[in-house]
Amino acid sequence: MKTFKVVISGVGGQGTLLASRLLAESAIKAGLQVKIGETYGMAQRGGPVMGHIQIGGEASNPQIRKAEADVLLGFEPSEAVRRGVTYLKDGGLALVNTRVTAPVEVISGMVSYPDLGRLMGLLGGVTDRVVAFDATGVAEEAGDPITTNIVMLGALTESGVLPFGEETVLGAVKDSLRPQFLELNLRAFELGKRAYVEAA
Amino acid sequence: MSHPVALDKPGERVVLMGNEAIARGAIEGGITLASGYPGTPSSEIGNTFARVAKATGIHFEWSANEKVALEVAFGASMVGQRAICSMKHVGVNVALDILNPITLRGVKGGLVLVSTDDPSQHSSRTEQDNRWLGRHNDVPILEPSSPQEAKDLTKYALGLSERVKLPVMVRTVTRLSHMRSDVELGEIERLSREPAFDWDGFSYRVAGFDKLFRRHNERHGKIDAVQEINESSPFNALKLDGGEKIGVIGAGFAYTYVKDALEYLGVEDRVTWLKLATVHPIPERLVTRLLKSVDTVLIAEEVDPFIELHVKALAKDVNPGIKILGRMNGTLPREGELSHEIIDKAVAELTGVEVKAETRVELEETKNGLLFDRMLTMCAGCPHRSTLYALKKAVQAVKGDLMNVVVNGDIGCYGLAHAPPMEFEDTYFCMGASIGVSQGMQRFGVDTIAWIGDGTFFHAGIPALQNAVHNKSPIKIVVADNQAVAMTGFQTNPQMGRTATGERVEPIMIEDIARASGVKHVEVVDSYDLEATEEAFKRMLSHDGVAMVIARRECAMIAVRNMRPERPPIYYVDQDACVGCKMCLSSYGCPALMWNEDEKKASIDTTLCMGCTSCAQVCPVGAIHRRGEE
Repeated sequence: MKTFKVVISGVGGQGTLLASRLLAESAIKAGLQVKIGETYGMAQRGGPVMGHIQIGGEASNPQIRKAEADVLLGFEPSEAVRRGVTYLKDGGLALVNTRVTAPVEVISGMVSYPDLGRLMGLLGGVTDRVVAFDATGVAEEAGDPITTNIVMLGALTESGVLPFGEETVLGAVKDSLRPQFLELNLRAFELGKRAYVEAA
Repeated sequence: MSHPVALDKPGERVVLMGNEAIARGAIEGGITLASGYPGTPSSEIGNTFARVAKATGIHFEWSANEKVALEVAFGASMVGQRAICSMKHVGVNVALDILNPITLRGVKGGLVLVSTDDPSQHSSRTEQDNRWLGRHNDVPILEPSSPQEAKDLTKYALGLSERVKLPVMVRTVTRLSHMRSDVELGEIERLSREPAFDWDGFSYRVAGFDKLFRRHNERHGKIDAVQEINESSPFNALKLDGGEKIGVIGAGFAYTYVKDALEYLGVEDRVTWLKLATVHPIPERLVTRLLKSVDTVLIAEEVDPFIELHVKALAKDVNPGIKILGRMNGTLPREGELSHEIIDKAVAELTGVEVKAETRVELEETKNGLLFDRMLTMCAGCPHRSTLYALKKAVQAVKGDLMNVVVNGDIGCYGLAHAPPMEFEDTYFCMGASIGVSQGMQRFGVDTIAWIGDGTFFHAGIPALQNAVHNKSPIKIVVADNQAVAMTGFQTNPQMGRTATGERVEPIMIEDIARASGVKHVEVVDSYDLEATEEAFKRMLSHDGVAMVIARRECAMIAVRNMRPERPPIYYVDQDACVGCKMCLSSYGCPALMWNEDEKKASIDTTLCMGCTSCAQVCPVGAIHRRGEE
């Protein structure tokens, strides 16, 4: 198969690492090779985080070349634009959480957060397939904002672009998460699927 | 659920991070002891051992620092055990003092030192290529190019070490340490060796001083033997049938950029290439075969021109006319990590093909004009922020101006004190240096504050503190004690009362060490009590000898984790009472605070707030309350 490429972007603490790990576990379940490259040095302290995921194919380096990602999974609007403009291929699918996480520059009043319409307009310069919704709001509805990553994963699964099906992803979720948090996460996954249908 | 690293299922394919694969390789290689000191990008090696130590029957410890960690591993080797010791690149600087005698004396049980280098300084204050340190000490160095190879080479390194009686370095880079891919598990060797000190190999009493002392010559013999072994190492690969007289050498992880570029540009059939995993000592005959078959060679490696320099020396004898391209002649950047862009371009130029042109130049420019950097900051509720807020107020009150002290910081989350909005830190260098450099300044009347974390204090702060007392240097020390080694992912330190594998032990308290070291003025305060903390700092600043305040409060990330599944208490800004002065935002600046430009009022993001109460103490009009306690 042709290598399927996903770029995940967000802010430290949003659970992007778990999202990419779950995609990797799904790929293994589907019998596909997988490579993930991540940069998260000190990202827990509010810095940007990015993951590159390549499923199937023969690449030996996990980094995705510019404008070659099939999907952008953006956990925060400005971070979605930062990576989407660089890595998403022309016409690729951009899934974007619209909930803003303000950086310290904004909080302390050094700069203001850019206009959301203008930001998303930049993604529009790359693709018409932008699906944006308040994934953190959906996660709160599921019971805990920490499940934003599972909401995004549900939405991505529902989009139908993944080279494996929902059962595979759910299998990875069930194998990888602690049993006491499973019910909460399965709820988040379902709500994420619904949110995709509503927003697409 | 058992960790894949502990699975006894040879042939099973699992997803492993490069660092986890190293841990797995060591377990497959029959280690009985692992040690290390946390530091990005090495920490997950030890984290993995901590999780699987009991299931796999090994001892794992986070040691006090890298030197101690390597000494512990060497001790195990001298009693015949296989051992591994992991650290980040700068950690090897600390461990160097013991590495040198180990290589001169040799090892008994296989001993592997893992150095995780950090090209482009993703999370380090320096870029350094530790292959020089290995070479400096005649340590054989292996560089894997994938998680699979990281596992296989680590296992192999243990056997090699034992065979040639030298410690072996496995060198990775951030991109490999933090890369995940499917890895096929191998057999776990169960050596079950009876521990026995190798008297003949290490004892002055038994073997005699003369036999053990001068061994530089013997070490050279060993490293030459490794070079011979490397000539036929299955971890190297040479493809000689390139159609043209163009060659590329890719060392370790840099090989992946080379391999992908050759395919991407469709020039696999035209280029002769060498994948090199045994980077020291270099298999000269193998490299010579490539050098003799090409007119031009490009050398791709991470950080320094380590291979390149050696190839230049070798070429003088075997192919003096060859053109050598790499980091020394400017074909590749002199520093920083490699990328597809860099290697694609170099290979394209070498083979005369076109690389795809950038199509989004304007869009990127617009984006960069619109976006902020997203600077690193302390987390919502971070106790260090509260400590710094109180410290600034105390310095202003006692010294008259914030610029009347030099704040010498140290390595850890609290090192972010230099960043907005706190901006109260002038220097930080290496583990424990805050206390040392402050003394040299204080000696000449320049007032200082040493700003050091609890973990870092144990690593290298103690000798510096005792130096201050002994040499009568009246420095002021603030210990930012969040009861965690937070920056690297919550490892243990001696004050925590439990070991890396969860065993309860007697905590060693920093205040006890300070008092036992002769510090007369030591106070412990709660960072979340801003007023009490400020008063303690004022007393410290007014004291005329060595004085220490330990600002202690558990890391906010751990506090939130321990609350789950409960959510923290909800704090809010009373919109009628808020006068819009922005004091909470500009002088405190917790990420959970938000500004509403339309209303000109502050508010609190309840998804981030963890209920520390500090902003309620900062608000000059008392507009911030806990829900239900108005």
